[in-house]
Amino acid sequence: MGMKKKLLSAALCAAMVGTMMAPAFTVQAADDTLVYWSMWEATEPQGKVIQEAVDAFTKETGVKVDLQFKGRTGNREALQPALDGGTQIDIFDEDIDRVNTMYADYLLDLEDLAKETGYEETANAGLMAACRDAGGGTLKTIPYQPNVFAFFYNKDLFEQAGIEKEPTTWAEFLDVCQKLKDAGITPMTMDDAYATSVIGYHLARLVGEERVVEIVKKGEWDDPAVLQMAQDIEELASKGYYSEMVGSNVWPAGQNTELALGTAAMYLNGSWLPNEVKDMAGPDFKWGCFAYPELENGANGIETNNFGAQVFGINKDSKMAKEAFDLITYITKGEYDKKLADESVGIPSDTTNSEWPEMVACAKPVIEQSTARFTWAAGVETNVDMTPVIKENFIKLMAGSLTADEFVAAMQEAAK
Amino acid sequence: MAKEKEPRKPFNLKKEIKLLPGYIILILWVIFTIALLGWVFGASFSTTAEIFQGKALKFESGLHFENYAKAWNGAGVAGFFANSLLYSIVSCVILILVCAPAAYVLSRFDFIANKFIQTSFVSAMGVPAIMVVLPLFSFISGMGILNILPAARTTLIILYVGINVPYTTIFLLTFFSNISKTYEEAAAIDGCPPMRTFWKIMFPMAQSGIVTVTIFNFINIWNEYFLSLIFANSDKLKPVAPGLYGMINSMKYTGDWAGMFAAVIIVFLPTFILYIFLSEKIIGGVTGGIKG
Amino acid sequence: MKKNKTMIIAFLTPAVILFLGIFLYPIIRTVIMSFFTIEGVTDPMSKWTFSGIDNYVKLFNTSLFRTSFYNLFRIWLIGGLIVMTLSLLFAAILTSGIRFKKFFRAVIYMPNIVSAVALATMWLQYVYSPRFGLLKNFFEALHLDELAKIQWLDNDHKFMALLIAYCFGMVGYHMLIWTSGIERISPEFYEAATIDGANKVQQFRYMTLPLLKGVFKTNLTMWTVSSVGFFVWSQLFSTVTADTQTITPYVYMYMQIFGGGNTVTERNSGLGAAIGVVLSVCVVLVFTVCNKVLKDDDLEF
Repeated sequence: MGMKKKLLSAALCAAMVGTMMAPAFTVQAADDTLVYWSMWEATEPQGKVIQEAVDAFTKETGVKVDLQFKGRTGNREALQPALDGGTQIDIFDEDIDRVNTMYADYLLDLEDLAKETGYEETANAGLMAACRDAGGGTLKTIPYQPNVFAFFYNKDLFEQAGIEKEPTTWAEFLDVCQKLKDAGITPMTMDDAYATSVIGYHLARLVGEERVVEIVKKGEWDDPAVLQMAQDIEELASKGYYSEMVGSNVWPAGQNTELALGTAAMYLNGSWLPNEVKDMAGPDFKWGCFAYPELENGANGIETNNFGAQVFGINKDSKMAKEAFDLITYITKGEYDKKLADESVGIPSDTTNSEWPEMVACAKPVIEQSTARFTWAAGVETNVDMTPVIKENFIKLMAGSLTADEFVAAMQEAAK
Repeated sequence: MAKEKEPRKPFNLKKEIKLLPGYIILILWVIFTIALLGWVFGASFSTTAEIFQGKALKFESGLHFENYAKAWNGAGVAGFFANSLLYSIVSCVILILVCAPAAYVLSRFDFIANKFIQTSFVSAMGVPAIMVVLPLFSFISGMGILNILPAARTTLIILYVGINVPYTTIFLLTFFSNISKTYEEAAAIDGCPPMRTFWKIMFPMAQSGIVTVTIFNFINIWNEYFLSLIFANSDKLKPVAPGLYGMINSMKYTGDWAGMFAAVIIVFLPTFILYIFLSEKIIGGVTGGIKG
Repeated sequence: MKKNKTMIIAFLTPAVILFLGIFLYPIIRTVIMSFFTIEGVTDPMSKWTFSGIDNYVKLFNTSLFRTSFYNLFRIWLIGGLIVMTLSLLFAAILTSGIRFKKFFRAVIYMPNIVSAVALATMWLQYVYSPRFGLLKNFFEALHLDELAKIQWLDNDHKFMALLIAYCFGMVGYHMLIWTSGIERISPEFYEAATIDGANKVQQFRYMTLPLLKGVFKTNLTMWTVSSVGFFVWSQLFSTVTADTQTITPYVYMYMQIFGGGNTVTERNSGLGAAIGVVLSVCVVLVFTVCNKVLKDDDLEF
């Protein structure tokens, strides 16, 4: 007995020495298996549908797939080092901008594969263009689960206030707010988590995203556009167009209670919103959607929107690129694309799946009118060190506890 | 740690009245704790809409056991539990097999490095995890084993073991120091070789200390978050704590608050039940390891 | 006892190897890394660029890092005061001859064994909820409408909210340390004092407290070690991106190295390593000061 334990501990010890000291060794999965690192959790609707699609794909084609659900954080932190370390990963997915910049070195050019299979005939042209754009002029990623960031509103409340037309200009927007206010309805609310999108959109409408990135990265908050933006927001705040709670709303308080329960009418958010609040809003909630309005003398209008998608990329070192592309096609076309859209209350990527889930159908015109694209929050979050400070001060501006001048001063101070 | 049997004290009104402020403070704290847990437990049987309307505990639409079904089936909680169980049990066993002999040797023999090793171990207990994470992460992802489950699991277990070696060794060291040397001396006279003496006599004698430190390690590894978040970055590898974090996030993204509270309770209950039975041992594990 | 070389080596090797592999080697490498610019965590040394103390300079010039550091300091100091006071109070009550001592002790310690993710979620989603929260309902029931209206999670209150929730979880642990210290004091001391006519409060003030210096040191050490690694609570209390009230150095490091947030950012592992070194220096500093000030040579028990 004693001897056995001793042997056991010796063996364990040897095993550990071996593992700790062994030079880096690389082990690969079997050659006939596709490895797919997914950004979803196995528990999310997307994860479930993808699992189903992968199973069906394997059954149909005989190609084995090692599907690993890593989750958002899992992929963000582990993908890069794993790719660097030469781990076999044939397919991976994540946000369009992340994949095309962070993992650019590992992406296979997909132009030929897409041409061969005629992939683009039924793909959303705007999104494909966005992917080419993000990929430096060539197609390196395949988009799916598209989304758009815009104003979502409660149609019943608009009707109640006698509003017939969705606003497209700032003047019309102010008018809508006033009508809602007159009808005793809080025009809009916001949550802390998305506050940066408001400032991003407004600034980018004025000067374009490139300039926004410069302002944020170089700390050029003395740009007159910043003051202009701050004054516009100050006006909204002083006229009482924002909910009283806007200064203290912590996501998801605003969307779940004020918007979904019908006390506030508008909320700037992504097209995933209706799904997030469906339990609170109930089945009778009528969703409307319009793009962030155009500003006077602005650099762009309602044709430029923050829309995006998750994208699939194929590893350039993959030995099964063709099979990988087939799997991507399998997930993003026809039956499983429809299922993915339905289950996640998202937007289909196959244009022949023209029937969108009811809750997001309102976003269709906004997507269709979009010809140019902002990245996330129109670039205002590109300086990680500043993001929390921007968020804090901008929320105060919306809440009316900072004036436009104070906001600009605070930002200049923080950027020093 | 000695177990003192407290004799039932006769009720003395005057003394109890003197202690009244103390009772009140403790009772308030206990009430708060119960209210916190009780509400979350109740809400986990309610619906999201009712929770947001502020009538979570009225159960107007009955008890919604499906929240649990949803959280359990959807989230692969069973997998997280299996992982946590595997990591905790295997790590705890290895920890004892590694640390008990080391602690014994450190407590019994004088040799050059003895003091040095002890000091190193004690200092290691104060090192922030952030100091060791980056090189380990780099080393492990460089090995390219992230796709191979057994290898990735082994690595995780080695990590959990390694991180807890200093504490466990120091804890057991104190314990062995308190055991009289006469046992080994008697065994040596009987001609029993020292290594054998350790496994046959000393190891069993240290049983209560081993049990205590193991329970403590078990809970620590079960609840470990920072390392697991970084190193177990795949749903098949995740233990309970980061698993729950993932579940909470997906419940928020789908607006399912009732399901979220059910998930919290699912994760809370096993530790809680274990605690009800073992609270004395667990508390002993805390206080026993402190004065090293 | 006779020395036995084979036994010493055989018994110590596994533990020492693990220690070298999991502590010593990474610590040394982290210190070295902190003086280099390293793009990817996995980059081999040949790809590192030496940058001297640039990483440290950059850290202290970054207002967000300073904020994170300040937050950690606040957590350590304010939280420390709250936790030490409450836990000592509970320990004093528990050792005063109260009934149901074991029950109370078990309940107060309980939050400590629950997964922090679960506990933080209970506080965040229930206690502080502006819609159905415990605090809101409690204050409403007392007709304290001003208090009921407080948004515990907004920018002005978030830090306190986080801190209180964290302290709730930590009090039990420190209470146990105090209790075990108090119980080690010989009851004869008290008997003598009682005969001299000292009441409970006086006994506590003039006897227990001075005797508890060593225990206080243990408490402070443990508090420092656990608050340096402040991470889970912070991560749970900041929903999507980090925010100025809850960010701590660990969260900052996690963001820098593993790319938190929504947008693409540059990465430099050297910076992460430098954060580790700065924190370790702080811990050593606290220990040294604490050893100087609280010499426990005057009393041993």
